[in-house]
Amino acid sequence: MSGGISRRQALLGILGFGGTVAGTLAPAAAAEEHPAHPVAPPDAVSMLYDSTICTGCKACMVACSEANGLPPDTSLSGGLWQMPEGLNAKTKNIIELYKEPNGPEFAYVKRQCMHCLDPACVTGCPFGALKKNQWGAVTWESSLCIGCRYCEVACPFEVPKFEWDKWNPKIVKCEFCFDQRLLEHMEPACTAVCPTGSVIFGKRTDLLAKAKERIAASPDKYFEKRVYGEHEAGGTQVLYLSSVAFEKIGLPKLGSTSLGHYGTKVTSVIYKWLSGPIIVAGILGAVIKRNWNRHEAERPEREKKSGFPDQL
Amino acid sequence: MTSLDRTGTNLINHWQRGVPVYRASVITPTFLFCGALVAIGCALAAVRLFSPLGPFSGMNDAYAWGIWKTFNVMTLTALGSGPLALGIAAWVFDRQKLHVVMRTALVSGFLLYATGLIALGFDVGRPWNFWNALLPWRWNAESAMLEICICMPIYVAIFLSFEILPLFLERLYYTGSDATRVSLRKVAPLLRRIYPFMIIGAYVIPLMHQSSLGGLLLLAGDKIHPLWQTPFLPLLYLLAAGLCGIGFVTFLLLIACLRYSRALDIGVLDELGKLLCAACFFFLAVRAGDLIWRGQVHAAFALDRMSLIFLVETGLILVPGVALLFKVVRVTPRSLLKVATLACLGGMYYRFVPTTVAFHPERQRGYFPTPPELLMAAGYIALAFLGFGLAVKFFAVLPGDTHGWNNKFRSLRLPRWANRHEGNPLPGAEGETA
Ligand code: SF4
Ligand code: SF4
Repeated sequence: MSGGISRRQALLGILGFGGTVAGTLAPAAAAEEHPAHPVAPPDAVSMLYDSTICTGCKACMVACSEANGLPPDTSLSGGLWQMPEGLNAKTKNIIELYKEPNGPEFAYVKRQCMHCLDPACVTGCPFGALKKNQWGAVTWESSLCIGCRYCEVACPFEVPKFEWDKWNPKIVKCEFCFDQRLLEHMEPACTAVCPTGSVIFGKRTDLLAKAKERIAASPDKYFEKRVYGEHEAGGTQVLYLSSVAFEKIGLPKLGSTSLGHYGTKVTSVIYKWLSGPIIVAGILGAVIKRNWNRHEAERPEREKKSGFPDQL
Repeated sequence: MTSLDRTGTNLINHWQRGVPVYRASVITPTFLFCGALVAIGCALAAVRLFSPLGPFSGMNDAYAWGIWKTFNVMTLTALGSGPLALGIAAWVFDRQKLHVVMRTALVSGFLLYATGLIALGFDVGRPWNFWNALLPWRWNAESAMLEICICMPIYVAIFLSFEILPLFLERLYYTGSDATRVSLRKVAPLLRRIYPFMIIGAYVIPLMHQSSLGGLLLLAGDKIHPLWQTPFLPLLYLLAAGLCGIGFVTFLLLIACLRYSRALDIGVLDELGKLLCAACFFFLAVRAGDLIWRGQVHAAFALDRMSLIFLVETGLILVPGVALLFKVVRVTPRSLLKVATLACLGGMYYRFVPTTVAFHPERQRGYFPTPPELLMAAGYIALAFLGFGLAVKFFAVLPGDTHGWNNKFRSLRLPRWANRHEGNPLPGAEGETA
């Protein structure tokens, strides 16, 4: 949860538009806008996906499409069944299979928005179409999006997708079933339907503890004995456990600093209350005024010499 | 290069004021060619109004930004930064010689920026939501994209437009009726009163958005190769804009004066050369310092693909930098043209690479612009080119001798061969005009 959003929310609250968001204001009020290592607020919701349990039944994919009203992407299967190539404008959630080229190792991996604690997409989105909503779900608001696709460039997990073939294109990404289910006090469609419990829903603190318990119970089972998403890109609200290397199953190797911090640490100082531009304008202004006055004072002489009026 | 001052020591001051190009027809083969490109561009733009971005352009989810953004905006507005770089040199660092080339800088800058903005308008997927820009409480103040969306249009619509206003008023003054003259005489002092304040904005605003163009790429993080991804991106983008701006105005002046057989002013060219030299070394110093600071020097000399791309970039800027240290290069128009071209290419290269060849998303998927995309990009450039060709003929843009100036402007109604204006200069109008 970033302070920038809180400012927005504060403003909305003052204007009387956003009653429900007021509760999230207090903790972030005095904090740095983009700490390098953000701390999840206590009410942050989460998904824990354990690749070692997943059987690849893809029930979650169907449930996701249904809950979000997405058409099945059948292009690869010749129109027969849902078979997307990857996350795309029709697919907010996908089960992918990793198979070792010449060996027995394989693993399923579920991909969707990671709901970063300090999302790059939200930091970059010019008019706040993407925002860190209640419980930390990252949602998209169509009336604020200009379609610049900066979110696609910024997201380290390459999640947001653009409807290239639509005249009125939307940004398509997992929104934690925010409008469809979270607001109705239901868990997301994918976790609700998962028959094996390989993806489960809960508070981030609880699921992180649960994941660590699983690692402690069978330490040799899990890659690097750690939870992917605990620190990646500043931490995400979707957490992963895997027996296969994370990079192999398509979870990129990322630093623990949030991109929002990296991207704004200098500019947030320069642009604080517009102080940088104002100082620069003051300095330039003083010098320009001096040079201008001299230029003007010399003007009659120049004009006399050339016989023509001065040009600007 | 008719009256070229070969030694460079004999101070013939050929560039004294903006003078329109009288002896050249408006309808030339180049004009027709550019006109055709613009027409094709417009036709495609009309198609784009009804066509989704999808198959029309080659962009995809991995390379979500195509050449309209990466070239027409990111790269060409750097070339259009002449008004910023030279304006600061002239008005802040008091390089008085440069005042005479400001109009060339301003007109070219305006055209490149304006066409860049048009490109942006056709590039975004949901342009109708731009009206949110009018509601400041919806601004995400920390977004570099917001800064660009707000700052660039303001810069073009207010500041650059104000700075080129004198061109129009001047023309009106000399071609208009007596009544127009009387009212323009009243306007001129007002204009001069606000001018210094307006140019402050005209420098602060592009300092902001030219650096924000680099700032945009910070969030792309590891997708951009470490030779280019650095916290110094905003500063480097700004310095590259200065480099390109100075280089391009030099290039443009030389080409235009050659084309319209204008005498060159070695003194001013020498000055531009010195500035360009400083800009090259300033950029290279920050670039090198940054690589050393981040411990990426080994990547620069690894001689793999990206390292070679980097070395070419550095060479394109280092060679002109070193060459311009020698006065003989700065005062020989032919060599100055060559090095200015190299420097422009180097700066453009730097501005283009991070969003394209050095941009490596995890899920690689190629991007190559489709023919309509390329043609529209070419159309924007042709439009700027066309605009410049017309501007130098109808307005006092290109610098020239005072004795070439006769208070006359080509008539708008007869845009053909206006040689008949080449008579004796009229007595100088004593009134002041902007
Ligand atoms: S994974 Fe990407 S789209 Fe999802 S919150 Fe993070 S930055 Fe945004
Ligand atoms: S495409 Fe839309 S959602 Fe994405 S950054 Fe741009 S305005 Fe925001």
